[in-house]
This record gives sequence, structure tokens and C-alpha cells, in this order.
Amino acid sequence: MGEKTQWRIFLSLPSTMQLIYLIDTVISDILREMNFDEETQEHVNLAVIEAGTNAIKHGNKEDINKNATLEFLIEDDKLTVVVTDEGPGFEREDVANPLEPENLLKSSGRGLFLMEACMDEVVYEAKGTIVKMVKYKQRPNL
Amino acid sequence: MQINLRNKGNVIILDIEGNLVGPNTIALKNIIDDQIRESGGEPVFMILNMERVQMMDSSGLGVIVAAYASIRRNNGRVVLLNIGGNIRSLIVMAKLVTIFDRYDTEAEAIASFL
Repeated sequence: MGEKTQWRIFLSLPSTMQLIYLIDTVISDILREMNFDEETQEHVNLAVIEAGTNAIKHGNKEDINKNATLEFLIEDDKLTVVVTDEGPGFEREDVANPLEPENLLKSSGRGLFLMEACMDEVVYEAKGTIVKMVKYKQRPNL
Repeated sequence: MQINLRNKGNVIILDIEGNLVGPNTIALKNIIDDQIRESGGEPVFMILNMERVQMMDSSGLGVIVAAYASIRRNNGRVVLLNIGGNIRSLIVMAKLVTIFDRYDTEAEAIASFL
């Protein structure tokens, strides 16, 4: 039986939004290496930037003494991204649904929705200070 | 990120170049807010030319949604020009496809204000 390829890449950033481009650079290269199709690359890229933004801006409140950590686990069949912040956390159910008519014209509140729409799995752990997202090379049969 | 502002008659055209992501979006927000302020309450007619925008996140989406809401309040309109597939897909996902009029040519976008 062939051995499974598994790479683990860590990125730890001081919490400033000026470094968001670094997340974009790293995830873009990983997605290209993994040969995801173009549309999937755009979706995963967006989800990871949203998760990084949440960690830096909402979790760590842009405190440069706190780090946002992104861990990329690359496997043959899937990419797992774990984003961790040092903030107080949040309850997912407290975040309003941006698709409800009363929220459609709000200027914020779409980040979690987009992450969940773009990835195959999104799990919030430790009060939302750890977000684990998975994208499969081929969507599993549910 | 670069934004070029042009006027054609009473229509304001913003040619946007770069990714509308994170802190990049503040420049666009400031320019739109300035134009609304300078209109002195008169209706604003604005085209956001996104031909050279490869990527937009929820911050960018938030800026154009806020522009839509502010401009509509004074009976103006903001429309999107030349959006790529990824931005179209984002707008569809966020259920904003019925809110934003989208055009493929500048002439069509300008004509939509007449």
C-alpha cells in the first residue's frame, strides 16, 4: 500500500491586518501545488483570508503582541487549515445569518458565512478561538 | 491597490485595480464616502469598474454594500462593471445578486442611469 503524503506548514503572524497579504501568498501557493481547480482555489483562498481576518481583527483585536496562527495540513486527498487566535472566543450561534433580509444590507457579518460556504467542513473549537476547516480534493459522498 | 476616479456627465466612474481585501478596502470606502459627502445630498450615480479586481473578501463586499445603501438613501444608484467570475460567485453566495445591477460595458452602465 502506498504511503500517504502529509505536509504540515505553520504560519504565525503578529495581529496586524497589514500582514493579511502573507496569508494570501501562502494559501495561494499551497492550493496551486495541490492542483485544486481554479474555482476551488478561489473559494479556499477566500475562506482562509476570512478566518485569518477574524483571528487578527475580531479575536486578537489587532493587538500585535498576540499572534494568529495558521496551520496547513496537506494530504493527498484534502487540505486542513487550523486557525487559532488568542482572543476571548465567541459563540457561533450569536452571529446573525447575513442572508436574512434584515441583514442583507449590513456592511459586515459575512465572514463566517463565507468560510462555511466555501469549505467542506468548518468546526469551531475552544469557544471559537480555534477554527478547523477542511477542503477535500473530491467532495465526499454524504 | 489603485483607484482612478473619472466623471462622464453626472456619472462617477471608479476604476479599481488590485484585490479588494482587508485593509485595501479602506481606500475605496474613503473615496466613495468623499463623493457622497461632496454631492451635498443630491443623488449620486456611480459605476464601480471591477475589471482589474481579481479578488474580494467580506470587507470588500461590505464596502460596496454600504455604498449601495448610502447612495440609494439619496435616490442615487451604484452599479458594477466588468465583474469576474469569482466576484460574481461571491455576490451570488451572499444573495446580493438581485441588489447589484451588473454590466459588461461602460456604455451600457452609463445608459442604465438615463
